[in-house]
Amino acid sequence: MSEQRVATSKVAGTWAWAFQRISAVLLIVFLGVHLYAAHFMDVGAETGEEPLITFDEVSLRLDQLLYIVVDYGMLSMVLLHGLNGFRTVLFDFDMFVRRKKLIDVTLWVVGIGTLIWGIVILFPFISGAGG
Amino acid sequence: MKISSFKWLFGRNSEFWPTNMKTGMWAWVGHRLTGLALVAYVFLHLSFISTASMAEGGADFDALMETTSQPLFVAMDFLLVIVVIYHAMNGLRVVLFDLGVGIRRQKLVFWVTMAISAVLIVGGLLAIWHLVFPEGVA
Ligand code: HEM
Repeated sequence: MSEQRVATSKVAGTWAWAFQRISAVLLIVFLGVHLYAAHFMDVGAETGEEPLITFDEVSLRLDQLLYIVVDYGMLSMVLLHGLNGFRTVLFDFDMFVRRKKLIDVTLWVVGIGTLIWGIVILFPFISGAGG
Repeated sequence: MKISSFKWLFGRNSEFWPTNMKTGMWAWVGHRLTGLALVAYVFLHLSFISTASMAEGGADFDALMETTSQPLFVAMDFLLVIVVIYHAMNGLRVVLFDLGVGIRRQKLVFWVTMAISAVLIVGGLLAIWHLVFPEGVA
């Protein structure tokens, strides 16, 4: 690696750095809520089913707006944090620093595209048999 | 691109050669590898959930969940548990240091976060044990 290379933190920027830390703390909260909701509250337990995740059980849960908000919020945070982290890793390499614009655009497209995909794939559960 | 241009990354004199790494460096490399693994997992996770839209009433989703509750898959879930807990606890340590908390006691903070990780990982193992060994261990 060349001696005069610019520090990755300079390339990535202060905002990216700060955001990585803020999203990290939020993710710990989301992870706690997610694990509790999915595995301990056991909304479908009264159906007397196996401790198996089923379509009906998830639908039942996603009848409540709170779950929808938590799920989509967590997905957004995970994508922002994960792709922002991946961006940092890329900028440790000169060949990617040289293509900063391209990388930034690509990561935003991948992130927003994945978010939309993630939102859409929950629709069957939300409109599903839970009601 | 020549192989030799990656000497800084893999070479015997590189800072990443195992015997050249100190605790903090191991922690950082581990954080990076687990972070990248988690990004890959998110896409896998979404593609699994997307099976819900494939058949009426989520039949394909239920079938997939049936498969993924097999011991082998649950064991892989446990791998995920380890990866997430390590990344989260080490990340917490990084954030604390950036806030100026605990820098004077770096070593101690590192081992305390790792001890908490170990406890959480054992907790996770206990929670899924019956799914990996449904018949119990003889
Ligand atoms: C559960 C809570 C989490 C916490 C507390 C956390 C914390 C952090 C922190 C503080 C950093 C910055 C490290 C540094 O600049 O040295 C980071 C980096 C990163 N995180 Fe997370 N993270 C969490 C979850 C995740 C998840 C779910 C993903 C994947 C989708 C992820 C992917 C990454 C990646 C790829 C990096 C960049 C690694 C690097 O720069 O070496 N993290 N994380």
